[in-house]
Amino acid sequence: MTPERWAHIEELFHRASECDPKERTSLLDGACNGDCELRREVEVLLASQERASDHMLAAVYSGLDAVTFPLVGETVSHYRILDGVGGGGMGSVYRAEDIKLGRQVALKFLLEESAKDSAALGRFEREARSASALEHPNICTIYEFGEHEGQPFLVMPLLEGQTLRELIAEANPGKPPLGIEKLLEHALQIVEGLEAAHQKGIIHRDIKPANIFVTRQGQAKILDFGLAKLAPAGNSAGNDGQTLAQDPEDMQVGLDKAKSGGTPDPLRSRTGLAMGTAGYMSPEQARGEKLDARTDIFSFGLVLYEMTTGQRAFKGDTGPEFREAILKSGHPSVSQSDSKFPATLGKIINKALQKNREERYATAGAIRTDLQSLQRAIGYGSRSHKAMAGSAVLLLLVLTAFLIYQRYQPWPNAAHEPKLTQLTVNSFENRVTDGSISPNGKYVAYADSNGLRVQAVELSKTYVIPPPEELKRKQTRWEVPKTVWFPDRPRFVANAHPVGGSLSVEDASIWIVSALDQPPVKLRDNAVAYSVSPDGSLICFGTNKGRLGDRDIWLMNPEGENPRNFSSADENQGLQDAEWSPDGQRIYYRRTDDSGTSLESRSLSGGPPSTILSASEMKRHVDDLWLPDGRLLSAVEEPRSFFGGACNFWTTRLNSKTGQPVERPQRLTDWPASCMGSMSVTADGRRLAFVKWEGHVMSYLADTAAGGSQIRNLRHFPQSERSESISDWSPDSKTVIVISGRSGQYDIYKQPLDGDILEGPLALSPSGTRNARVTPDGKWLVYFEFEQSEDFPDQKPEPVMRIPFNGGAPQELFISAAASLIACGSSKAAGCVIAEPSLDKQQLIVSVLDPMTGRGPERTRFAGDLSEVRWFFDMSADGRRFAFMRTPASPIQIFSAQGSLIEEFRVKGWNEVLEFTWAPDGKGFYVTAQGRGAQDVIYADLQGNAHPLWESPGADGETVGKPSPDGRYLAIESWTTKGNMWLMDNF
Amino acid sequence: MSDTHDVTLLLAEWARGNENALNDLTPLVYRELRQLAASYLRKERQGHTLQPTALVHEAYLRLVGQTNSNWQNRSHFYGVAARLMRQILVDHARRKHAGKRAGVRVSLEQAVSFQLDHSQDLMALDVGLTALEKIDPRKCKAIELCYFGGLSMEEIAQSLEVSAVTVRRDLRMAEAWLHSQMQIG
Repeated sequence: MTPERWAHIEELFHRASECDPKERTSLLDGACNGDCELRREVEVLLASQERASDHMLAAVYSGLDAVTFPLVGETVSHYRILDGVGGGGMGSVYRAEDIKLGRQVALKFLLEESAKDSAALGRFEREARSASALEHPNICTIYEFGEHEGQPFLVMPLLEGQTLRELIAEANPGKPPLGIEKLLEHALQIVEGLEAAHQKGIIHRDIKPANIFVTRQGQAKILDFGLAKLAPAGNSAGNDGQTLAQDPEDMQVGLDKAKSGGTPDPLRSRTGLAMGTAGYMSPEQARGEKLDARTDIFSFGLVLYEMTTGQRAFKGDTGPEFREAILKSGHPSVSQSDSKFPATLGKIINKALQKNREERYATAGAIRTDLQSLQRAIGYGSRSHKAMAGSAVLLLLVLTAFLIYQRYQPWPNAAHEPKLTQLTVNSFENRVTDGSISPNGKYVAYADSNGLRVQAVELSKTYVIPPPEELKRKQTRWEVPKTVWFPDRPRFVANAHPVGGSLSVEDASIWIVSALDQPPVKLRDNAVAYSVSPDGSLICFGTNKGRLGDRDIWLMNPEGENPRNFSSADENQGLQDAEWSPDGQRIYYRRTDDSGTSLESRSLSGGPPSTILSASEMKRHVDDLWLPDGRLLSAVEEPRSFFGGACNFWTTRLNSKTGQPVERPQRLTDWPASCMGSMSVTADGRRLAFVKWEGHVMSYLADTAAGGSQIRNLRHFPQSERSESISDWSPDSKTVIVISGRSGQYDIYKQPLDGDILEGPLALSPSGTRNARVTPDGKWLVYFEFEQSEDFPDQKPEPVMRIPFNGGAPQELFISAAASLIACGSSKAAGCVIAEPSLDKQQLIVSVLDPMTGRGPERTRFAGDLSEVRWFFDMSADGRRFAFMRTPASPIQIFSAQGSLIEEFRVKGWNEVLEFTWAPDGKGFYVTAQGRGAQDVIYADLQGNAHPLWESPGADGETVGKPSPDGRYLAIESWTTKGNMWLMDNF
Repeated sequence: MSDTHDVTLLLAEWARGNENALNDLTPLVYRELRQLAASYLRKERQGHTLQPTALVHEAYLRLVGQTNSNWQNRSHFYGVAARLMRQILVDHARRKHAGKRAGVRVSLEQAVSFQLDHSQDLMALDVGLTALEKIDPRKCKAIELCYFGGLSMEEIAQSLEVSAVTVRRDLRMAEAWLHSQMQIG
C-alpha cells in the first residue's frame, strides 16, 4: 500500500465515522467516486471499529493471564492445573484438580527468590505444617507441600469467598465495611486462630487483611502461617536496608545448621516484609527487634482498625513512610470515623495498638475475652446465641447422616442487615408446619402437631385455640396458609385435615377463628382456604380434587357465602396456593401439569393468565410471596442442597399490572443449612414471618428379645434434647459412641450404658464426622471427617481418621474415595474394612482398614453401577461374609470373604431398603426401609421375613438401627425435621 | 554495577543517539518485565490479571527509580517497555500454541476456555502490528504504548511528540485496521 493510498483511506475513514450515519452512504458514494476497492476498505474499517478496542484488549489481557499463570493446562505432580485464581506478594495461586482424589484444591507457588534457600524453606514448611496441624477452623489447612521444577508449592483447600482486603475494598471508601455483629464475629474468629497458634509457639508475623480469608459461609481463616519469614529481602518495603527480626525460631535453625556444618542462614537476620505489608508491621518489627506473639496482636489491632473504619490506621506511600508512622505517629481515633460503634471497641483497638508491647494485650486470649464481653454487652452472640447460630444442623442422606456447620452469613452491607427473631421454640416432635402474620404485625397464627395457636408478638404470649366440638375426638392437623388474616379485626381462616388423610380438599374443611378463647367456626366443607384479599372482602379457596391436586379456585365472602368460580383447570392440571397481588387486583397461583409447576397470575376482572415463573424457573422454588413493595420473595432450594436441606431467599421485581418479572432474581440470604416456607408479610411490607426447617436427630436404646427380632423398653439415650446419635458400640457392649452437637460442632463422645453423662469429646472435628466405628480390639475409633463444603458430600473424598478409644489427638490415616463406608467386625481376625467406589464408580472395592497403617490390601471387589450413591455395604461380625446392595430396589446379596455370591434376598413387603446392619449372630439384619411416609427399622432374617420394630415419629424421619455386639440392645437413631416460626425485619 | 544504574545510563546514552545502548537496555527491561508479569498477580478473581500500566510503571520504578524522573528517560523507557511487553506476551502465546499443536494433551476445560482463542488473537495482533509498522510506524507505536504499555493519551502524545487529538485519531484508525486484519487472519 502506498502512503498516499493509506492517507486517503484514513482521511475518508475519519470523515465517515464522524459524520451522521444517515449521510455516510452519500459521503462514501461521493468520495470514492467509483473506486470500489477504496470504498470496501473504508467500509471494513467502519464495521470493524466498534468492537476493535474490546477485542484487542481481550487479546492482550489473555496474554497477560497466560504469562502470569503459565502453568494453566499443565499437570504438576498429581494436580491438573485448571486456572489461575489469584495470589499475593508471595506467588501465584492456581485452581487445580487433584487427580488422585478427584477433588479441587488450590496450589500456591512460592516466588522463585523465596525458593532458593532450602533451610528457610524447610523452616517455613515446618512452621506451616505445625500451624496446619492445629486443625483450627480459623487457620487454613495445608494438605501437602510439593515441588515442580525446583519451584516449591503448597496445596490448600480451595476456599470460596474473599479476603478481608477485598471485603474492605468493596465497601464504600472510608465507611465501616462491616456491621458490628459481623465485625465482632470475624474478629473473634481471627483472634481464636491466633490464640491457638500462639499457644503452640507459632507467630504469624504478617497478619494483614490480605492474609485473612472469609469463606462464603462466613468463616474467617488465617492464611500463610510461616510464610512471612520466607519473604525475599529484595522484596522488602522500600529497599532501605531495614534489619528485621531475629527470633528464637531463627536461632534454632541457625543452630541446626551450625551442627550440620552449613553456612549461616542468610535469612537469619533479615526476615524481610513483602511489599505492601509494611503498613501492618508492628513497631518492634519496624525496629528489627526480636519478635514475640505480641507482634501479631499489634498487626491484628491494625486489621481490626481497618475492619471498623474502612481506613488504614497509618498512612504512607512508601515503606519508610509507613515505618515512620508506625514508630512515631498516633492513629486517628476510631470514634472520629463512626460514632455508631461502641466506645469499648475503640478502647480494645487502642490497647492492641500500643507502641510499647508491654502495654499491649499480653495474649490473644486477653483480647478475645474483651471482644467477647463486648459482644455480650451489645446483645449479639452471647454464648447461647452463638451456640444456636453456630449449631450444626443435621440433614439426611441416603447412606449416612451428614452434618453441616451452620453459620449465618447474610448481607454484606451492614445497613441492610436484617433482624431475625425466632418466634417459636418447638421441638422436633412437634414442629411448626405453617403460619401467617397479621397485617398489623401484632399476631402470628401457626399450626403444629398439637393444634392451632396464635402468638401475640409484642407480648411473647401464645394462645391455644380450643378445638371445635366437631373435631374434638378426631385427630386433626390444622393448616394455616400464609395470608389468612382479615385487615379489619383480628380474625383469620384455617383449614382442618384429618390426620392420616390425604391432605386434599376431599376431607378438608375451612374454619374461621375470631377469638382467642373460642373454638373456630366452620365456613365450608370439602375445600381449603388459600388466602384472604387485602381488603378482607373475599376468601379465595380451592376445591374439586383432580389427579394433580385441586382443579378449581373459588371466591366467597367472609361469611362463607356467595361462592363464585375464579379459575378452573382440566383433569390433567391442578391449581393451588392462590394468593392476592398487593393491590388486590390479581390472584397468583401455582399451576401443575405433567411438565411441572409454574407460577401464574390472572386479573380478578378476567382475561388470560400471565406467567410469572415457568415450570423450569420454578423447579427449586419452595414457596413464593408477592411483597407489597412489588418484589416476589421466593424460598429457593440451593442447586446442590442435600435432601432439600438448604434454601435461600431470592427476590424478583414484578410488574404490578401484569405480574411479570421485570428484573433478574437477586439473592437475599446466604444461609447454608436450613429451608424456609410459608412466608407471609405485614401490610406495610416491613416484617416477614416464615417457617424455618432444620434437621434434628434423636437417639434411642431398646432391649432386644426373641433372638433380636423384637424390641422392648425403648427409651431416649443419651437423654438430651440436642441432636445426638449413637454411632457404634464398644466391643464389650457396655459403652456407646455418640456423635453430639452440644459444643456447636459435631464431635465424638462416649457414654457408658450405666452412666448419665457424655464423656469427651474424644475428638474435635472442625466440621463433622460420620461412620465412626470402634476397632475390634477396642483400642481405636476410625471415622470419616468431612468438611463444610459446597460440594455434594457424597462426591467428595474424605479423610479417614483415627483416635484412641480413650481420647487423644485425631490422626489422618488416608484419604478415601467419596461416599465410602467403614465396617468393623467383632473379632481381631475380622478387623475393619473400608468399602470404596472405584474411580469409574462401577466397582466397590473392599480393602482392609488397619488403624495403625491405614488402607491395607484389597479383600475383594463387587461390580455394580454405584454412581447413584444409594448402594450399601456391611461386613458380618466374624468378618467372613459381606453384604452388598446396589440400589434400594436391588436384593441384598451375601458374599463370601473371597467374593463369591452365597445368597441373596429381598425384605418382604418393603421395596425400598436404604441401609442395613448385620445382626451380631449373623442370622439376620437390622434394615432401614422406606415405609409409608416414614422410615421403618425392621429385623429381617436371611429369607427376607420382616419383623417391623419401629417407625420414625416425623413423617420425613430417617431411622437407623445398630445392635450391640452382644446382641442384647438395639440403638436407634431417628432423623427428623424441626420447624419453627421466625420473623425477619429490615430485609 | 546495579541494574538501576545501568538502565539510567543506557537510557541517557540512547537518548544521545547511541543505538547500541538500546541493545544493552532491552534484555534488562525484558527480564524485569517478565519477572514482574510472572509474579504480579491479579487483584481479584474476576476481571483481568494485571494492567499493563502497572507492570510498566513498576518496571520503571524498579529499574530507574523514583528519584530519577527525567521525563525524556521515562518516555524512552516506556517505548522500550511497551515493545517488550508485546514481545513477551506474543512469545508466550506462540510457545503455548505450538505446545498444543504438538499434541500436548489439553483438558476439556482448557480446550473450551477462552485462553486458546485469544492466544491466536494475540498472534494475529502481532502480525498486524508488524504490517502496520511498515505502513505507518507512528500508529504502530501508539498502539504499543496504549495496549502493551498502558499509557494514557497524554503520555502517548508526549512520547510521540504529537497532540492528544492526533493520538486519538491514530488509535482509532489503527484499531479499526488491526481488527479488520485480525478478522481476516
